Amino acid sequence: MWLRLVLGMALSALLAGEAGAFTAYVSNEKSNTVSVIDTEKWAVTKTIKVGQRPRGIAYTKDQKYVLVAVGDDDTIQMIDTTTNEVVDKLPSGPDPEFFTQGPDGKFLYVANEDDNTVTIIDIARRAQVGDVQVGVEPEGMAVSPDGKILINTSETTNMAHFIDTATRQVVASVLVDARPRFAAFKQDGSELWVSSEIGGTVSVIDPVKHAIKKKISFAIAGMRPEPIQAVGINLTRDGKIGFVALGPSNHVAVVDGTTHEVKKYLLVGERVWHMAFTPDEKYLLTTNGVSNDVSVIDVGALKVVNTIQVGEQPWGVTISDR
Amino acid sequence: MNRLGVLFVSAIFATAMPSAARAADPRYPDWPCVQAKVPELSVGAMWDGPSIADVGNSWQDDPKIKDLVALLAARRTPLDAAKKAIDEFLAAIAPSDKQSAATKLFAGLFDTLNQQRSEIMDGIERVSRNEKELADKIKSDVESLHRLEDKPNQDPSKVNDLASRVEWSTRIFEDRRKTIRYVCEVPTTIEQRLFALARAIRQNLN
Repeated sequence: MWLRLVLGMALSALLAGEAGAFTAYVSNEKSNTVSVIDTEKWAVTKTIKVGQRPRGIAYTKDQKYVLVAVGDDDTIQMIDTTTNEVVDKLPSGPDPEFFTQGPDGKFLYVANEDDNTVTIIDIARRAQVGDVQVGVEPEGMAVSPDGKILINTSETTNMAHFIDTATRQVVASVLVDARPRFAAFKQDGSELWVSSEIGGTVSVIDPVKHAIKKKISFAIAGMRPEPIQAVGINLTRDGKIGFVALGPSNHVAVVDGTTHEVKKYLLVGERVWHMAFTPDEKYLLTTNGVSNDVSVIDVGALKVVNTIQVGEQPWGVTISDR
Repeated sequence: MNRLGVLFVSAIFATAMPSAARAADPRYPDWPCVQAKVPELSVGAMWDGPSIADVGNSWQDDPKIKDLVALLAARRTPLDAAKKAIDEFLAAIAPSDKQSAATKLFAGLFDTLNQQRSEIMDGIERVSRNEKELADKIKSDVESLHRLEDKPNQDPSKVNDLASRVEWSTRIFEDRRKTIRYVCEVPTTIEQRLFALARAIRQNLN
């Protein structure tokens, strides 16, 4: 089954032809820069000076801008993707760490760790249009593929809160393991995966029943459990493979999206944090915060094929979709 | 430092010191760094090659490997030169022996750098303990100084002697504190180096 899946992916990658050049942007938390990577050359082509403590980073849906949350400057900066210069900013509220967008790319939802709110921003108008009071210390965020539900994980209450994006009310909360960090939906909306950094697990949640249907644990040979901290999650579009970044264990777990069994652990760089696929899903890039580099995983072969040095403490990564 | 400066410093000691000296992790009360203390490195977090469990100290029996470990572990050897030395060493080894030699080389580096890192962490804790003792000493000197100054018929030479002792101790305290902050980076630097060297060895096995 697994082999067939991998072969199938390799075949579809072949049919899609050679990977074109995409552009990846990596936020470097300590050096206050964003590294621009060409995915054909696998090299940094430009380093952009941004505000203080850049972490959350994402392309806008129209691909015109890359947004980067600069927490210590209390704002989200907008990088023009044609000139690679900071051209504007968004009113994010205090200490933005992470944000997410709805499927239409109109609204941005920002987690403000300091004042326990999620700020909603109209990107086109560059204006705040509302906020939601959530659990203490909001962290991970995800919007359901139909745009109706916003997930927000709270570091202190250890819950994933389900927020109705129309009424902006919390409609359900699911208790997960300690320090939930990140949330990701399967593209068909059938599952929500939530990682717990201290618990070292991923909870697979049924988003309709608001119930945990499976808890994924991780164990790496020759390692104590403490460094195995689940952080970033990326699921393939078909939902068949999930990749989980395991922080200071320096590994990425490859999880079968159907059986939820861990298939493999890949040694990447030190303190692996967040990840992003190239749009053809041929490669997955990981940010490694202590070794100050980005690892390139060949998704078909499930092997690390390249390493690119970036700035200090790389945190997030986003890749163009064309 | 003038008198006002001494008073200012003594005010800082009287109020801020106890909290500044408090450790973040209750398991390691003498650990002064903001970086979390991780006593031992994990082989599994560095290496996905063949197990080093059976290597033991056998890497020391091969003089070439022993010398290379010493060269690579020394932080004065630039990382690029170290990687080059690894590639050259493994390129010269017969394919059938390459895996075993690479594993021994990694085992030697892991033992050596893990040991080096532990010694540095012990040193940091030792300095931190001395700092706490010095802080207590300064605090009690400052209190004596205040008592002396409050006396109606104070002896100016005694006050000056004590004030200059406080000044000197404070200067030593501050210098050491700055050094600790710098030295706290070293365990991470060693870990980064070991990881980079392990990766360079591993790449020769692909």
